[in-house]
Amino acid sequence: MVKNSMIPKNVIIKTEKLNLWYGEKQALHDINMEVYPNKVTALIGPSGCGKSTLIRCFNRMNDLIPTCKITGDVIFDGENIYDPSVDVVSVRKKIGMVFQKPNPFPKSVYENIAYGPRVSGIKDKKGLDEIVERSIKNAALWEEVQDRLHESAMGLSGGQQQRLCIARALAIEPEIILMDEPCSALDPIATAKIEDLIEELKKKYTVIIVTHNMQQAARVSDYAAYMYLGKLIEFGVTEQIFEDPREELTEKYITGRFG
Amino acid sequence: MTQGLRKRMIAFLKKKRIKEISIKTIFFLTAISSIIVIFSIILFLLKDSIPIFQKVGIWGFLSGTRWYPTGSPPLYGTFPLIVGTLLVTLGAMIIAIPLSLGSAIFISELATPRMRAIIKPAIELLAGIPSVVYGFFGLIVLTVWLRISFNQPSGESWLAGSILLGIMAIPTITSVAEDAISSVPREYKEGSLALSATRWQTISKVIVPSSLSGITAAIILGMGRAIGETMAVLMVCGNPTYGLIPSPIWNVFAPIKTLTATLGIEMGEVASNSNHYYALFGVAILLLVITLIVNILASIILGRLKERQQSGSKKRRKISYENSQKIKRTIFSIIAIIVILSLFVNAGILITGIILLILLGWYSIRKKISAKHMQRIAFTAILAAIITVIIILGIILAYIIGNGAGALSWEFISGTPSNLGRSGGIFPAIIGTFYLVFGAILIALPLGVGAAIFLTEYTREGKVTKIIRAGADLLNGTPSIVFGLFGFAFLVLYLRFGISLLAGQITLAFMILPTIIRTTEEALKCVPQNLREGSFALGASKWQTIRKVVLPPAAPGILTGAILGIGRAAGETAPILFTAVVFSGFYPSSVLDPVNALPYHLYILATSIPNSQQAQAGTALVLLLLVIGIYFIAVFIRNHYQKTMKW
Repeated sequence: MVKNSMIPKNVIIKTEKLNLWYGEKQALHDINMEVYPNKVTALIGPSGCGKSTLIRCFNRMNDLIPTCKITGDVIFDGENIYDPSVDVVSVRKKIGMVFQKPNPFPKSVYENIAYGPRVSGIKDKKGLDEIVERSIKNAALWEEVQDRLHESAMGLSGGQQQRLCIARALAIEPEIILMDEPCSALDPIATAKIEDLIEELKKKYTVIIVTHNMQQAARVSDYAAYMYLGKLIEFGVTEQIFEDPREELTEKYITGRFG
Repeated sequence: MTQGLRKRMIAFLKKKRIKEISIKTIFFLTAISSIIVIFSIILFLLKDSIPIFQKVGIWGFLSGTRWYPTGSPPLYGTFPLIVGTLLVTLGAMIIAIPLSLGSAIFISELATPRMRAIIKPAIELLAGIPSVVYGFFGLIVLTVWLRISFNQPSGESWLAGSILLGIMAIPTITSVAEDAISSVPREYKEGSLALSATRWQTISKVIVPSSLSGITAAIILGMGRAIGETMAVLMVCGNPTYGLIPSPIWNVFAPIKTLTATLGIEMGEVASNSNHYYALFGVAILLLVITLIVNILASIILGRLKERQQSGSKKRRKISYENSQKIKRTIFSIIAIIVILSLFVNAGILITGIILLILLGWYSIRKKISAKHMQRIAFTAILAAIITVIIILGIILAYIIGNGAGALSWEFISGTPSNLGRSGGIFPAIIGTFYLVFGAILIALPLGVGAAIFLTEYTREGKVTKIIRAGADLLNGTPSIVFGLFGFAFLVLYLRFGISLLAGQITLAFMILPTIIRTTEEALKCVPQNLREGSFALGASKWQTIRKVVLPPAAPGILTGAILGIGRAAGETAPILFTAVVFSGFYPSSVLDPVNALPYHLYILATSIPNSQQAQAGTALVLLLLVIGIYFIAVFIRNHYQKTMKW
């Protein structure tokens, strides 16, 4: 569906005819979308369009909702992650997630970061120390927390908490990081820091981000997908989506005529 | 506006203000009623116990190792009774904690919504069974089973008491722990799962640690319930002379006597104002102090939990991770050594060896088990816990219903007892229970609802509400037998009501007062604030707002509370034991006459009337059906209005 010379050939994760229902209500309709490695892909659209629902399909977070039913495939590493033979734990090990509201555990900064490696079976103290330090540094938080590693993470500011959550996701060394409106609960300065961090992260990781802030999508993303009422309306290079949208709905939304 | 009209309006507003103030005063008086009650309980217990402290001294009373007030010389040592209470409670907790926590985790984390909708009421049903019915079941089934299968001279023992109390504590611990676990923010769970933790890792490393204080409070509340329980313990523990402590101390088959059982047995036979009488009030004071400590502990822990949830604590961790691991290991090994030693003495070398081998084997392979297998093992254990609880409930219900059904007939329900209750019917007891409960609710409902209205509508959260709530909480944690003693000292003797319907009604009313206050408060708090603001903005006064806007939508909640109170009052034995009941077949002609009541009728039949099995089974079934029926009405009302009323 996307015809653009700038699109790379390799795909890290893609959805094929993905439909999702919450009980009787269909929330996603036939989503076909490809995500490219080491790029930032933004999901944009008005509230309730299904962008958060879609991003939660990539690491099967919707499994938690009892009434949720899914058809279609999400192909990652050549495998449908919804296949019954696939272990959801191993999927989430490779696809990390950062949530809308910073959600550190009520544990120390160190314990928050060490949590992921620990549950994956890493026990030795030295290895953990290394992982913790590297992850916090990669999340650009080291300067601020290096001498309070053993204090409660609940004492950090909102922006720091969110970078801690990013560091926590990095500690399990995923291939993809999903971010569900990571800045919606933050002030502009903290937001700028996270955006800089996203820029940095895409060197090593693939990032999928949900945002309802148009400027943010334009600033941080390489590709953008515009969704409306559970349907994927348009997908393409971010510049093209913003400057020359092919669909009328997209143009209306981008130019602020509705949404 | 004309001069006359303005004058009339001013007069009207003035009258309105006076009315408002007097209404507020009335509510304030109802609100402090629970404090007055708790203070008078303490006062009367102290008044009647001081002579014994003067005689043997507080230390002598606490440390004496023999309890034999009717001997010569009389012995007033409560030490064995205290130890007895603690041992029975300890055993009960060892049984109740794993089963309850397993059930709580299952209900909140593993069950599908449909399973939850079945299992939660089933466990609440366990809470609805009257304690005298538990005692009856224990006496007829549990002690017999223990005696035969362990080849003991008698099954009435520490173990029987602990098993029974354990079962009775399960619903308390499960429901409070389940609330705590369910209130862990969903974000924590999602965060953990997104970091590729398994469900069990999420439960054991994030959800349970985050709700630890709630779980601790649940356990302490369950302990309070077990310590204060009278009838069931009294009926199955054997109650040895001198209250002797089991010898050796870990002999779970030895009979044991608790503080509550001592009161339940001896209070009815004691001459008032004798030394024995004073000593029993001393025991009641002891019991009250122990339960107060336990309940205050629980409310402190729950209070801290609330604080922490409201503001992220910035405190530095006092103990580093390594040290906390070390402390955990030390505590664990101390407990392990004690358990192994007692096993060794009780079960012999072979069984101890086998258990040790299994444990060692488990420890050595534990670290090699993958997270996935660990999850399977943990979930199996949790499933086993919930299935055990359901089976226990099934056995109790099947036994009571199976045996009682044969005894039920129209004549049994409508007739009067003959041949000491062995034949004939139980209608006088049904009527007596009805009178007692009706009177209790008539007294408790206005007091409780008034107090709740004062607490939620007329005051800001502050010192006053804190004190009133503390009074209600203390009242709520007071063992029912203590209410019985208070009723006896204050109503029966001091106010000269005698053993009478009225004394029983008032005693029961005091007991259910905190339930009514709490449920009414919850119902009032559910009414959205903007409804009140809307009414105020239209010029309505406080009382008008409460009466016309707040109370109507809260009515079903208040009704539910009243029904729960009725259920509790109908099943209780201990508070009416010395205040209202006689084992008889006549109907009271005034409120100053004594009555018979269903739980008391069952208690006397089961403990004192030989060859009355059929009448026992029938009475137990009628009592069970009555109380459970009342609870079902409450649950039905709650669910019905939860569905129809959405804000």
